[in-house]
Amino acid sequence: MAHNVWKIGGFALITYVLVMVFVVPMGPGLLELRSTEGTFISEEMERPIPEYFLTGFATHWNEAPDQLSVIVRSQSNLVQLQVIEVLDDTHARIGVSLPYSLPSKSWDVLINHPVDGTLLLENGLFLSDRFIDESLALPALAIEEFAADLPFHFPYQPRILETIRNLMLHVPMWFTMFVLMGIAFVASIKQLATSRSMVEDEKAEASVKAGLLFGILGLITGSVWARFTWGAWWVDDPQLNGALVTVLVYSGYIVLRNSIDNAPLRARLSAVYNLFAFIILIILLMVLPRFTESLHPGKGGNPGFNSYDLDSALRAAFYPAVIGWILIGIWMYRINLRFTRLNKLLK
Amino acid sequence: MDRGNHSAALSSAWSRYVHLTRHAFKMEFRQKNGLAGLVLFAIASVYTCYQVAGSRADVDAWNSLAWVVLLFSAFNAVSKPWPEDSAEMRAYLVHVVKPQEWILARITFFSLLLSALTCIVFVAFILFLGSEHLNGKQGLSFFLGMQCTSIAMASLLAMIQALAIRANGGFGLIAVLGLPLIIPVILIATRYGMDILNGISFADTAHNLLFLATLSGGFGALGYILFPYLWND
Repeated sequence: MAHNVWKIGGFALITYVLVMVFVVPMGPGLLELRSTEGTFISEEMERPIPEYFLTGFATHWNEAPDQLSVIVRSQSNLVQLQVIEVLDDTHARIGVSLPYSLPSKSWDVLINHPVDGTLLLENGLFLSDRFIDESLALPALAIEEFAADLPFHFPYQPRILETIRNLMLHVPMWFTMFVLMGIAFVASIKQLATSRSMVEDEKAEASVKAGLLFGILGLITGSVWARFTWGAWWVDDPQLNGALVTVLVYSGYIVLRNSIDNAPLRARLSAVYNLFAFIILIILLMVLPRFTESLHPGKGGNPGFNSYDLDSALRAAFYPAVIGWILIGIWMYRINLRFTRLNKLLK
Repeated sequence: MDRGNHSAALSSAWSRYVHLTRHAFKMEFRQKNGLAGLVLFAIASVYTCYQVAGSRADVDAWNSLAWVVLLFSAFNAVSKPWPEDSAEMRAYLVHVVKPQEWILARITFFSLLLSALTCIVFVAFILFLGSEHLNGKQGLSFFLGMQCTSIAMASLLAMIQALAIRANGGFGLIAVLGLPLIIPVILIATRYGMDILNGISFADTAHNLLFLATLSGGFGALGYILFPYLWND
C-alpha cells in the first residue's frame, strides 16, 4: 500500500484536474462593440442616435440589467454610453451619442457591473468620421465602481477564451515527455556503462515508448488549440516543427530497435542513438525556439508559458496537472517495463 | 613513463589518424565509379532543380533548393557501407587502431568529401540556376555557410552511418535515423542562407555559423565518446 501512494496521488490529482477543467466557469470579458448600422430613438429624445451591439463573454448582465453601465475612455476623457436594452447575459444594445468634435478616434470600452466588476476592451470603439482635436477635454464624469462578485473561475484571455482549459492538458504532456525521455537518457547512459545486463535497456525502451505517447498527445492537443486560436490545425512555427521532429527522432529509435535481432547489440546501438536523440530534443525544444520568432506563447525569449498571466485559479489547476500527469506518465512507464519483462520471460 | 615515450605515443596516435584518413581516401579513389556516382548525383539533382524551377527561381526557392540538394547529396555520400565495417575486418582492426582514431578519421574523411561535393553543388547551382540573387561578397558568405553545414552534417552522419551499418539497416535506416536528427542543422543553414540572400550583412548573421560550429563540435564529441560502443563487440 505504502509504496503505491504516489500512484493513488497521481490518479487523484488527475481526477481533480479533469473536474477543474470541465467544471470551473470562465471569467467574464468583453468580445466586441459593433455598430448595427441602425439608429435608435425614444419619445424623450430629440434626435436618433447610432445603435451598437455589445457582446460579452461569460458575463452576467441579466442578473442586474439596470446596473450595467458602459463607458468609453480615451486617456483621461470618459463618456457614459446609453444602455438601450440588455438582451441576455452576454448581449446588449447600446446607444453611442458622442459629440462631433472629439479628442481621439480610438476609445477603450469599459463595463461596470455589480457581478462582473469592471471589464475593459482596449480600442473597442473606433470612430473614423469625427473631427479630431487632441487638446479637447470632455466634461468630467463620476462613475460608480463595482468590485467583481464572482465564484472561482479561470481568467478571461482575448482570443483564447474557453480553450484556456487546454493549458492543463497540453502543456503537462510536454513536461511529462521531458521527464520520461530524461529517464530514458539516464537509463541509456547506465546501459552503456554496464554492458552485461539488459535491465537498463528495458527501462530505456519502456520509457521512450511512454514518452512518445505523451509527445503524440501533446501534438494532438496542440493542434486542436492551434485550430481555435490561430485558425489552422498546423502552422509553420519553430516550436511546432521542433515538437514534430522530436517525435520523429524517437520514432526512429523504435525503428532502430526493431531492425536489430541480437539483443546485446540492440541494447548498445539504441542506447547510443538515444543519447543523440535526447541532445537533439534539448536543441529543438529548448535552444532553437529562443532564437526565432514564433506564435507560440513566450517565444523570442522563453519557450514556456510566462506570457500567460497564471492567476491563482490557473495555478490551482495547472501545478497539480503537471505533477499529476508526470506521476501518471511514470506509472505508465513502470507498467510498460513490467510488460516487457513478462513478455521476455514468456519467450 | 618518461617524457619521450609519452610524446612518441601521441605522435603515433596522430600518425594512425592521418594514416586512417588517407586510407579512407585511397579506398574511395580506388573505386572511381563510386566517386563519379556522387558527383553525377549532385549535378543531376541540381539539373533537376533547374528543370523544375528554371532560372526563374526566386530568392526563397533558390535558397531552399540549394540546401535540399546539399542535404541529399550528403546522404548519398554516406550511403555506401565501408569494407572496414564487416565483422571480420572489425575483428582485425580492433587490435590495430583505437575506435576514437577511427571515428575521427571517418569524420575528417566525410568532411573533406562533403566539402568537395559542396564545391561541385555550388558551382553547378551558379551555372544552372543563375547567380542574380548573389553578388560576389554574398556568394562567398553563402559558400562559407555551405562549407560549415557540410562539416556539421559530416560529423553527425559519420556516426549515423556507422550505427546503421552496425544494425545491418542499409540506406533506409540511415535516412530514418539521420533525417530527423539533421533537421536542426538544416534549419540553421536555411536561415543563414536566407539572411545572406536578403542582403543582411555577414557580421549580423555570422552567429548562425557559430551555431553550426557548436553543433559540429557537439556531434563530433558525442561520436568520439560513443563510437567505441558501436565498434567493440
